Amino acid sequence: MSTTIEPEAEKHAMGVRMKRKEDPRFIQGRGRYLDDIVLPGMLYLALVHSPYPHAKIVKIDKSSALAVDGVVAVLTGEDLAAHGLAWIPTFHGYDKQMVLCVGKALYQYQEVAGVIATSREAAVDGAELVDVEYDPLDPVVDPFAAREDKIILRDDRENKTNHIYHWEVGKRAETDAALAASDVHVKERIVFQRCHPAPLEPCGAIADMNPATGRLTLYMTSQAPHAHRTVVSLVTGIPEDKIHVVSPDIGGGFGNKVPVYAGYVVAAAASVVLGIPVKWVETRTENLTCTGFARDYHMDVEIGASKDGAVTALKVTTVADHGAFDAAADPTKYPAGLFGIVTGSYDFANAFTELDAYFTNKAPGGIAYRCSFRVTEASFAIERGMELLARKLNMDPAELRLKNFVKKEQFPYPSPLGFVYDSGDYHMTLRKALDMIGYDDLRKEQAEKRARGELMGIGISTFTEAVGAGPSKHFDIMGIKMFDSAEIRVHPTGSAILRAGTKSQGQGHETTWAQIAAEELGLDPQNIMVEEGDTDTAPYGLGTYASRSTPTAGAAIAMASRKIRERARKIAAHLLEAAEDDVEWVDYKFRVKGVPENTVTMQEVAFAAYTNPAPNTEPGLEATFYYDPPNLTFPYGAYIAVVDVDRETGFVKVRRFLAIDDCGTVINPMVVEGQIHGGLTEGFAIAFMQEIRYDENGNNLNTNFTEYLVPTSLETPHWETSNTITPSPHHPIGAKGVGESPNVGSPAAFVNAVMDALAPLGVTHVDMPLTREKIWRACRQAATA
Amino acid sequence: MNLEYSGRERIAAGRETVWAFINDPAKIAGCMPDVIESHVVDEHTFDAVVQVAVGPVRGKFKFHVVLIPQPGGEHMDLKISGGGFGSVVDLVAGADISVQSDSTVLDWKGTATMRGPLAAVGGRVLDAQAKRVITTTFANVKAQLNSAPAGAA
Repeated sequence: MSTTIEPEAEKHAMGVRMKRKEDPRFIQGRGRYLDDIVLPGMLYLALVHSPYPHAKIVKIDKSSALAVDGVVAVLTGEDLAAHGLAWIPTFHGYDKQMVLCVGKALYQYQEVAGVIATSREAAVDGAELVDVEYDPLDPVVDPFAAREDKIILRDDRENKTNHIYHWEVGKRAETDAALAASDVHVKERIVFQRCHPAPLEPCGAIADMNPATGRLTLYMTSQAPHAHRTVVSLVTGIPEDKIHVVSPDIGGGFGNKVPVYAGYVVAAAASVVLGIPVKWVETRTENLTCTGFARDYHMDVEIGASKDGAVTALKVTTVADHGAFDAAADPTKYPAGLFGIVTGSYDFANAFTELDAYFTNKAPGGIAYRCSFRVTEASFAIERGMELLARKLNMDPAELRLKNFVKKEQFPYPSPLGFVYDSGDYHMTLRKALDMIGYDDLRKEQAEKRARGELMGIGISTFTEAVGAGPSKHFDIMGIKMFDSAEIRVHPTGSAILRAGTKSQGQGHETTWAQIAAEELGLDPQNIMVEEGDTDTAPYGLGTYASRSTPTAGAAIAMASRKIRERARKIAAHLLEAAEDDVEWVDYKFRVKGVPENTVTMQEVAFAAYTNPAPNTEPGLEATFYYDPPNLTFPYGAYIAVVDVDRETGFVKVRRFLAIDDCGTVINPMVVEGQIHGGLTEGFAIAFMQEIRYDENGNNLNTNFTEYLVPTSLETPHWETSNTITPSPHHPIGAKGVGESPNVGSPAAFVNAVMDALAPLGVTHVDMPLTREKIWRACRQAATA
Repeated sequence: MNLEYSGRERIAAGRETVWAFINDPAKIAGCMPDVIESHVVDEHTFDAVVQVAVGPVRGKFKFHVVLIPQPGGEHMDLKISGGGFGSVVDLVAGADISVQSDSTVLDWKGTATMRGPLAAVGGRVLDAQAKRVITTTFANVKAQLNSAPAGAA
């Protein structure tokens, strides 16, 4: 059973539309990003990339590069091998990846050599003169071709196959039987194309080995500074106390800044050897071609249902293209991430999903691009599948969803694929969306337009996410449990510093973390400084990605605050000259029970903690909490897109888009709206513009922003947003996380809307991105059929 | 990205004259457009530095060119490989030589394979540029032979 809360009056700090504390420095150009850091005597690293997707490295001639004025050194894979750094483990530990090519190149733009020079220009000039002799090999670009094993890509592995792993969950036999017995059955190959997070700030690092202290400081664009410190220690053998990772301001991450990349390792190796700081900042092309891509799932979706539209079974069979290395940063026990959320918001009695992953001659990745480990792929599959089912049943897609939703009273809901959904009221949220957008009127308008031959579509997506990895019994990265942490120190005058194991890349943690602590402690959020990203000072945490920050670190902040409050109660009792049990926390103050006028504030307690602590109590007022969540959280939403399609040009006009999100307790509505606006814009780009394409020779055809399009304000539709609140019953403040919901839920709404518009032409499915050319061709083919 | 081209040049010179011309690496190097410098390696091979400007890919490319005359003097193969700025171009071309009335006819066709940033420039731009290079080369062969005095070349 879920409890739903209507939006309430503002509290002390929670739920307040507080302006972001970090924004003044960003909008004044005073953020401090990686490339802003210049250290004395710093050298620069430029990388040499393979033009071939698959080739033996015959010879590397460094001589011309070394002759360039300013070039200090040229490093190759063989050089790194001499130091045991030729290969590093991938994050989930099942594979390894080359740092620089050793023996052969496995994808186009793979890093072959590194040139270190006294200026960035000299390094680039040197890189252009590294003469690499290749012996080209036939590439394998298609994962379906890869599975035939005619060409084995990874001869370094014991098993001579391109097959990486098979994963499955659910009941195969029961699901197959239920599908066979169903009155109505739909099946479609649905491809979620390879795309890329493309953060505006690309990746970079400065490695600074101090030969005198033996300490390596790594300034990195890192979403997970502590995890990176541990990885660097494990790979290099440098004791972890001799490694200091600093992640400065980050201009967007979206999962792209979780993996370890060649530039980080080569810069570190060069600095260790030379004893001089070495900076590496990648170009846009390097970011798009070498660093972690997302998606690339080819999903066969089957749904069975009764004649009246009650779903009976779901089966999804997936081929995953992982590129040259299995470098998806998934939790160890979840090679396909949380794809098991593929039953979505619907009560399937039978479900089964299986996935086979393959190596190809493409860049490695499969990262959680603004989603919780493959939740976006799963949501897209089920939401497209439900739309196809509605079409087959000739049933309204909203009615089909309302008929099959998990009901409010079923929570906590055990899904057939192994999750226990914590809370939700899907009927309420969709009905709110239908009312707000005027669904019935839109359907009438659509009927009138169709009568005139015009193409108008309405698309619904009612997704459920599984986020907040996660409970230590299930979730780890390279063995490190996926808890997170917070440390709060309240200063004598009642201000505080709050440090967390997470790392904001634009999420607004400096504001929202302060609001949580302020709400729990009765302090002014403006006077709580939030610090993240420095492993010397922040408590250990797994970082910010996969919508995990609020479910884990947000909870840790609340719990650390409550620890402080319990300590403060002792001091308050001392100040109030009352027994501790007689002191209560009401309206952000301590007071003696039954004597409401006799109060002390947290500020007064804080001052006393340093000047007049209670006898036999420890001075000071601070606490640390490591939070191990008991379950994931399950944010959900109901999105509706309205589009008009011009059949003569293929142009799709997104006329309206309404997003109703339920992320449980809202910390700051303005921050939530900002997150949703940004995520919807990314979802819009994925639906209509973005794809990392490779040609038959393994050429990456989307290597810069002229080929890989990022929408500007001119293209971006107007977003309408609202919310419902169904608090998580197990999270200390009831929050679920929201940053990734719009990216997860919106692509299906866009595609469903366009397919609905094309329904009169008999078009049922077109794979993303829905470019004008694709839509125009679909219209043309329908016209000539 | 693979691009395929073909064409025909009708040359007012004898077959032996044409055959001798296209067997000469120095003369073929002189027919390629935008060549900054060239160096004959041996009787069938030359290296050339070419100024390239295709979309954002601009600069000097190095090419290694091998002429492969086939026995009988009726067919010549040509392999060009090279590149620059992380891009690679491989061109395999062939020309059939025949005599029609008072002319020698070169029927040529070639396939160019692009890799690296050049391949991402976009087919339409790339196609136009590659076509220009190939057609200009053969057109220059024709022009030089046509302008040569009888018995020369």
